Amino acid sequence: MDVFRATVVMTFRWILRDRVLHAILAVALLMILLVPALSTFSMRQVQELSITLSLSAISFVLLMVTVLLGASSVWRDIERRYLASVLTLPISRTVFLLGRFCGIACFIALCGVVLGAAAAVIISVSSAQYPSDIPIHWDKIGLALLADIAKYIMLASVGIFFSTVSTSFYFPFFASIGIYLAGSGSQEVYEYVSGQFGKEMGSVSVALFKAVYYLIPNFAAFDLKVPAIYGVPVLPAGLGLTFSYAVLYCAILLCVSSYTFSRRQFP
Amino acid sequence: MTRGLILGALLLLYALVVVPFTTYMRQRPVALKLGYTPAGEALRLVASDQRYLLAQLAVDRVLFYFGSLFTKDGHRVSTPPEYFNMFATMQSALKLDPYNMDAYYFTEAAFTWELKRIREVNNMLDYGMKYRTWDAQLPFYAGFNAAYFSKDYRTASLYMQKAAELSGNPLYTTLASRYFYEAGQSALGITFLRAMEQSAKDAKVKKIYQVRRKALEGITVISDALNRFREARHTLPPDLKTLVREGFLSRIPEDPYGGTFYLDSKGKVVSSSKLAGKQ
Repeated sequence: MDVFRATVVMTFRWILRDRVLHAILAVALLMILLVPALSTFSMRQVQELSITLSLSAISFVLLMVTVLLGASSVWRDIERRYLASVLTLPISRTVFLLGRFCGIACFIALCGVVLGAAAAVIISVSSAQYPSDIPIHWDKIGLALLADIAKYIMLASVGIFFSTVSTSFYFPFFASIGIYLAGSGSQEVYEYVSGQFGKEMGSVSVALFKAVYYLIPNFAAFDLKVPAIYGVPVLPAGLGLTFSYAVLYCAILLCVSSYTFSRRQFP
Repeated sequence: MTRGLILGALLLLYALVVVPFTTYMRQRPVALKLGYTPAGEALRLVASDQRYLLAQLAVDRVLFYFGSLFTKDGHRVSTPPEYFNMFATMQSALKLDPYNMDAYYFTEAAFTWELKRIREVNNMLDYGMKYRTWDAQLPFYAGFNAAYFSKDYRTASLYMQKAAELSGNPLYTTLASRYFYEAGQSALGITFLRAMEQSAKDAKVKKIYQVRRKALEGITVISDALNRFREARHTLPPDLKTLVREGFLSRIPEDPYGGTFYLDSKGKVVSSSKLAGKQ
């Protein structure tokens, strides 16, 4: 357990020292600072636009952070021959991988919380200038942030999985982006092929689409921006299912990652 | 030495290009091109959770483009606007974010008065009402379009009824009952006003509904007598006093707005107050 905790702390410190991430977070804060000015472009929904811009900026930055960290963690350890020396210690590959994942997850959560706090201040300023008919639903904004954090932790597990099977940085990087885009649109495609259009397609194609739908992560469920922006109700049962799905998906993917990582030969 | 010569030559070339370039920038057409926006359904697939941002960007692009069509003194430039493209862009934006109020507001403002695309605009507003279920503005816009542009008072009254029920705003209630009356649906208007009157908390608002209901009740009583007269005599009476004199009506009801009820040239019961009196 101490070894695991040490790996998590070490990963977290390693991320905190990363200058690329410093630059990304500085740009994110700048983007959030620009929100009040950009929100005034709206004719009728300045407050709503300030929430939209803030959540979009946070989501975009978390995506960048996640993809970079998820794709680069194992690759960097191999490149710098760090892994070779660590694995000589009495530490299993699974514990090492889980430590890396948890460190990355903690950093994603920290980013979400820090950027969310900055966004809260900015949203308050914007809405004070141009009050909306719709009250600010802070609970739903918090929920949307939490869902975003869960989504990007899931994506980090995808990145780690790809980095355990690849020797290159580029494959996990672009594969993670690909899975992110596919996972964001998979629900729409699933509903499309399940409807009238699916009847006109071959049964094999429909089955293939559905298989891919169940295989890749469904990120559409984590998009709670409409409730956060417009105050539309959220179903508590759906939330429970969504977060359970995230936990289970991550757990399964980490199990598979652990298996492939344990069998891998290192130079 | 050579490097200095190359740099000097490059600076000279730059000076030669930058002058006509600045002239071109100053003289370029005022209206910017709106450009092509992919269909909303396709964009949704790739936009992930940035679709709300993309929707707003599409709306803002149309706004900037529309703004470029007018000179500073408010006159339109001669370039024909890309109206179809503007509408398609708004449709794409609303597919990405069906809650975006800017898109509905702009569509209502730009495509009704100048282009009279009332059916298309109201279809878009109907689409918005499925999502913005709390918002009275959308049925208000649709009701206004139906009444003012299409003269479809029955549809207008139903939209205004929806707006009134959502907001509790007396203005919408007054408009709804007026459109019910114009559509010959006074009985429906009375029922609606009675419901609004009961739910109103403010005494003044309650009074407004009450007066409007009494006016519609007066019109209904006269219209019923008029129908009985028409069935019995197969003609219209010359005035309302004839209805009283011949026993079809006990007395001409009072117009609570202070006017007098009379028959217009088409045989419709109207009031000299136009049901918008001193209240």
